[in-house]
Amino acid sequence: MDLESAQSKREVSTMPLCRLAQVKKSYHIGEVDVEVLRGIDLQLEQGEFVAIMGPSGSGKTTLMNILGCLDVPTSGEYILADQEVSHLTDDELSVLRNEHIGFVFQNFYLMPYATVLDNVLLPTLYVERQKESASKKRAMDLLDLVGLRERAKFKPSQLSGGQQQRVAIARALINNPEMILADEPTGQLDSRTATEIMELLARMNERGKTVIVITHDPTTAAYARRIIQLKDGLIVA
Amino acid sequence: MDRFTKILSQSLRAVIAFKLRTVFCLTSVALGIASITVIVAATEGAFKKAYDIVAIFGPDSLLVVSGSDEARAVGQRQKTLTLDDVEAAREAFPSAYVVVPLTSNINIPISYQDKKTQTVVVGTTEDYSQAWTWPVVQGSDFTVDDIRGLRNVALIGQHLVDELFGEEDPVGKYVFVRRLPVQIVGVLSSRGMTPTGANLDDRLVMPITTMMTKLQNERKYVPVFRIRFTDQQNLEYYANELKLFLRERHRLPPGEIDDFKIISPKEIITFLVALTGSLVVFIGIVGVISLIVAGFVLANLFLLSVKERTVEIGIRRSVGARKGDIRLQFLGEAVIITTLGGLIGFVLGIAASQFLTMAAQFPIHFSWKAFAVGLLLSWLVGIGFGLQPAARAANLKPIEAIRG
Repeated sequence: MDLESAQSKREVSTMPLCRLAQVKKSYHIGEVDVEVLRGIDLQLEQGEFVAIMGPSGSGKTTLMNILGCLDVPTSGEYILADQEVSHLTDDELSVLRNEHIGFVFQNFYLMPYATVLDNVLLPTLYVERQKESASKKRAMDLLDLVGLRERAKFKPSQLSGGQQQRVAIARALINNPEMILADEPTGQLDSRTATEIMELLARMNERGKTVIVITHDPTTAAYARRIIQLKDGLIVA
Repeated sequence: MDRFTKILSQSLRAVIAFKLRTVFCLTSVALGIASITVIVAATEGAFKKAYDIVAIFGPDSLLVVSGSDEARAVGQRQKTLTLDDVEAAREAFPSAYVVVPLTSNINIPISYQDKKTQTVVVGTTEDYSQAWTWPVVQGSDFTVDDIRGLRNVALIGQHLVDELFGEEDPVGKYVFVRRLPVQIVGVLSSRGMTPTGANLDDRLVMPITTMMTKLQNERKYVPVFRIRFTDQQNLEYYANELKLFLRERHRLPPGEIDDFKIISPKEIITFLVALTGSLVVFIGIVGVISLIVAGFVLANLFLLSVKERTVEIGIRRSVGARKGDIRLQFLGEAVIITTLGGLIGFVLGIAASQFLTMAAQFPIHFSWKAFAVGLLLSWLVGIGFGLQPAARAANLKPIEAIRG
């Protein structure tokens, strides 16, 4: 019995989290169609730590947008949480983002007029109904985890860049998503703070989160166990 | 908390956070609502005043004035109504419980001992007090015998009592009306001033027969008579019947205009409301314009705000806000601001009306109606002019919004 549940647990942890098959994305720029992604095949397992690298214009950002359900492929399949994302409505995509994805951005993107605690709580606003006290407790625990419990009542402008990014990570975790999508998370930070942030993301990964980092910085990418190289809209390695 | 409340609490935070926008929108909405509040209160005031006056006039009363509209318009005094008409009307309309002829002269010298003044003298029958719902508070009304006997008796208003008698009891005393000695038999209750500034208590009332023969040298014609009916509901019907009755008595052929005019409470209301109406229309136009301007100020500031807060919208969308959530938040911000503006405007409106009442004797009446109209309009402005900016915010594409 115990063995069985352990077995199934392991199976869960190696179940595919998401799968892309022949994903293409093109944009109209003026008169011409520019194909930014030209057929991406990719499978990510639960608990992976992946870095997506590539020169600018290689389609990294577009791939992140699609992985993060901020945008849908022009053609091909993207399956996340057993759902074919390309066919979902705008509202359904919002729910998917709310429940399954946590974003970390290069510019932290905290709300300047809200406190640290309220910033962390932001994703919980869009959950249908939940206990406020429970979310608050969870937010405080997460702030504890990122070492900012004492700063809960501060405004983002009172924090350093590294601290703001830690708040953003706490916010990404609040709804307990499977996937953390970090877009150049260290781009605005000095190397020491960058190390702190990457170590924090690595810790989250050890706790079972799938972490996807989009970066062009090899030091940042070095934390990942799998590196995907993108070039001209295709995976080259 | 449910999602709706959570999002509206975000709206409230934004209203507090973006102070400059809030102050500008608030001010412009408040000014608009203030003038609307004044209009509603003034309209209500005008109606209330009109009904107050009708209550004094008597809601079951008709006033018949001699002379055609045309003759009166050029200031001509056409004598057409006779005492016989009045008597005939009394007999023809059994449901008329009061039928009273009236005549009056202004600036009649009147004296008591060494005190002299001028006043309005009204000639009428014994039903005067009843006809005008004007109780006699001291002494008594004059009687049928006083009328028939052309006796020199009179009722006087409170103002005259003060002028001529001071503290002295006027009942039973004699005054001179011109050179005619007249005994005071009663004092009318105080009525105060009319809106046009005339003192209703400055009058002397005597039997119409006495007045016509001894003061006016008149035997037949009366300028006005008053008639009151027991069933008030059918007053307009009686007005029409009375009109036909008088036309027949005066032998007016069809097509010929009336040589008299019947004034009903309905007409008084129409007239009084029209009197304040022009001012109400003026403030009304100002109010509506300022409210529309307020709406555009709001819409513009909100569009600017949406532009400024593109990244915020992008962040919210990326953490799971739906289009509808964004729309609700911005609409909520607009409605919160306009609601506050409406409340401030209501207070401003009360202050402004106090001023109007003092400066222009403007009848103002506040009720929940003015408040409700103000609040409703401020919501209308908030929703009406907030909708477009809110829709623009909601329709921003997440991937574009997040790039700022």
